[in-house]
Amino acid sequence: MVRPITMPKLGQSEEVGTLVRWRKKVGDTVAKGDILFEIETDKAVLEVESFFEGTLLKIVVQEGTTVPISTTVGFVGDPGEAIPETAVLAPEPRRAEAPSVSKEAPRPPAPAPTRGMPEARFERPVAPGELRVVERVLPTPSVMAAPEVFRISPRAAKLARESAINPSPIVGTGPYGRIVERDVKNYLESKGYYQLRITPAAKRLAAKENIDMLSLGAEDGPGRITVASIERAIAEKPQPMSRMRQVIASRLTESFTTTPHFFVTVAVDMTELVNFRSELKAQGASYTVTDFILKAVALSLFEFPIVNSTTDGKNVRWHSKVHLGLAVNLEQGLVVPVIRDAEELSLAELHDCATELVTKARAGKLTPDEMGGSTFTISNMGMLDIENFTAIINPGESAILAVSSTLKQPVVKDDHIVVRHIMKMTLSSDHRIIDGATAAKFANAIKQKLEEISLWKRLA
Amino acid sequence: METFGVVVIGAGPGGYPAAIRAAQLGASVALVEREYLGGTCLNWGCIPSKAFIHTSDLYAQMRSSANLGLKVEKASFDYAAMAERKEQVVRTLRNGVKQLLAANGVKVFEGTASFESRKRIVVNSKSGNTVIGAEKTIIGTGATSSMPGFLPQHERVMDSRAFLDLKSTPGRALVLGGGVIGCEFACMLAQLGVQVTIVEILEDIVALLDADVRRELRRQMEKTLGIRILTGKSLENIKADGQAVRGTVGGEVVEADLLLAALGRKPVTQELQLENAGLKTNQQGFIEVDEHARTQVATIYAIGDVTGGPQLAHAATSQGLVAAENACTRHLRKNEKCIPYCIFTSPEVGAVGLTEQEAQQQGREIKTGKFNFAALGKSLAIGHPAGFVKWVAHAKTEQLLGAQVVGVHATELIAEATTAIRAELTATELAQTIHSHPTLAEAWMEAADVLLGEPIHTIAKRPR
Repeated sequence: MVRPITMPKLGQSEEVGTLVRWRKKVGDTVAKGDILFEIETDKAVLEVESFFEGTLLKIVVQEGTTVPISTTVGFVGDPGEAIPETAVLAPEPRRAEAPSVSKEAPRPPAPAPTRGMPEARFERPVAPGELRVVERVLPTPSVMAAPEVFRISPRAAKLARESAINPSPIVGTGPYGRIVERDVKNYLESKGYYQLRITPAAKRLAAKENIDMLSLGAEDGPGRITVASIERAIAEKPQPMSRMRQVIASRLTESFTTTPHFFVTVAVDMTELVNFRSELKAQGASYTVTDFILKAVALSLFEFPIVNSTTDGKNVRWHSKVHLGLAVNLEQGLVVPVIRDAEELSLAELHDCATELVTKARAGKLTPDEMGGSTFTISNMGMLDIENFTAIINPGESAILAVSSTLKQPVVKDDHIVVRHIMKMTLSSDHRIIDGATAAKFANAIKQKLEEISLWKRLA
Repeated sequence: METFGVVVIGAGPGGYPAAIRAAQLGASVALVEREYLGGTCLNWGCIPSKAFIHTSDLYAQMRSSANLGLKVEKASFDYAAMAERKEQVVRTLRNGVKQLLAANGVKVFEGTASFESRKRIVVNSKSGNTVIGAEKTIIGTGATSSMPGFLPQHERVMDSRAFLDLKSTPGRALVLGGGVIGCEFACMLAQLGVQVTIVEILEDIVALLDADVRRELRRQMEKTLGIRILTGKSLENIKADGQAVRGTVGGEVVEADLLLAALGRKPVTQELQLENAGLKTNQQGFIEVDEHARTQVATIYAIGDVTGGPQLAHAATSQGLVAAENACTRHLRKNEKCIPYCIFTSPEVGAVGLTEQEAQQQGREIKTGKFNFAALGKSLAIGHPAGFVKWVAHAKTEQLLGAQVVGVHATELIAEATTAIRAELTATELAQTIHSHPTLAEAWMEAADVLLGEPIHTIAKRPR
């Protein structure tokens, strides 16, 4: 029997999914559990397995297409079975091509997200699915674009095409402002086109790749435009970012522009903890520095409930649970898996939980639900050999802790200069609810815990 | 101590033009040369070999001219006279270089240069040491034949330079190395009636050439000239004595009166004492330079064979001019990338840009167009119907990316293709350019037509 395959809903917050790649071709045999296709959500690229067996009969949603959850993307069944009539969905060409002025301009503004009571907002302070990707058009002088109502004679259009120039800035003198051949000639003359020394191959390549000759700088000498110049312009064409990158851009911009950030930095003496960690390792218990920080933060958040709270500017809401986000850097961008109920977890459990999430993140196997709902985030760049950095608060939280490298440094201790392992941590806080003194106390609370070796001897 | 704006070390085809250009740009210029003006090219390379090859070519044509309706009886040659003519040509050109340098105010130092420091150069000559100051230095010391240790030191075993000083031809010659130099001399000797065997360790001769061109060249060298070509094998147990030089190739004993070693060339840097200038050579012994001919040391430039480039006189000349301009002006110029190759074998070979195989290795989508001289009126009229020209072009824009030609006058014909490729012409322009009739150059136009799928004088393979 013919069964439709649908775009799965992988997380509460997901409303759409982009089908990135089909792993099966039409006619391929499909077994239960075979990977059918890959989808990209706001947060990750995921593999989708088949629940049925049979043959892939039809692909309805083509690669690169974004569709709402539950949309039928294809059909599996026995060969020869009748398939319901469905229109094939292909990606909108606009996505793949460089943005052009005419197609962008008339786009209606995205409807403002409708929201209910303030309380409702706190259920999920920023649902990623609600975020509209802000499509900003980069200035693209080298890309040809034609305005929507654009009158040009065939001869004029041919001359523009053969000259590899963008005719849209030309003012037409024909009927109804229509651009005629004479206008193109005058335009070329006024722009110094005839002084350009364009090699024949460069002109042909530019025409094929829609590069405007008049937007190029000279490469080999005054006025000489070679294939190398055109290839450079092609390489410089704006490319659409991945959906993941666009979401990162949108979320970070929103957070940094709507939340008043301020920063406090503390230097933590990690010497004893580093030694203790080595001792534990020798005994067979392997912990990362992050594990200790996760624990110290979970404990401190209970001492400072305001840091585990969020605000919309009018109301403040405390979160009774500590859900710790852990920023993980991937080649394609940043993901933040979440350790739930961190306050209930022992050091060993935190270690196991963090290890599992990081492994999944690196393998691209995180589900959207494993990436949402955090109340505080830790970003550890310790392995990247940096002195100090600041982080941008994850939307929906009030603070983020930026952890830097543990470096050997000279320190004054009991009036003597000694070499200690020093790690700097910078807390970024939402100044609307966290004051400087609170942030300072909170940062120092974490510092004190990390430096207090008797605590870890109890907890490890 | 006399100080110069530019000191050029080596007066080869890279060095002396660099010195002249630097002087034209207003610099005070010194040129240091330990042997003769003109370097390898003029004295022991391009020029003397072409003097011999021209005679051997004419001689071969005379002997096979019956089909042209000529009656040449008892044709013979006098190798000693050929050698004397070569000397005259070389002397004339060397004198010309001397006059050019003098006219441009370049001061020539005879001796061997070495760096004392980055800006002080010692010139060592018979009359003693002279120290000169150098604001900028251009190193163009060139390369010399590799003579590996397995070759016996014997008068029957020689490199190309010693070979050009011979006053008579051997009866049998063994050429070790089937590269450009080995093949050129093998063809010349074979044209003069010498029994020639080439031994090349690689799978084919002149490996850098397009496969089609190589096939045609090898076919004619073997069939027309009777050269024995042994490839994919090494020459072992080389022994030389009063009677002959011998070696084994894959178990077979080969014997000849002389052995010409053409095993590549190694850079000349030993006496320069580069370390005193803060310069190092790379693992192969070359001085590395960037596309502006600059070394790692800001005031020192290097050009030509010593930089490990294509080992062509004209490439060194172009690079020399670039170095001189970059040393004397503020405007940085890049090396030219479009460098033609000419091989003076019989048949001749010319090539420029990408070969079909190189383009495929680079993953480029290409089109090719080939036209045989056998279909060209002029080729038949002059009795040279063998060979072909071939274009390699970008599949999408039909930009001409490479050209090869094998056949009579190939080394002259490649000039048009070189201009076309550097000017980034497309196959359409080449095809639409009127070529005089009847000429060999028409083949380029015809081959461009073939590439575009609309040939007139040959039958299109796949009609559109």
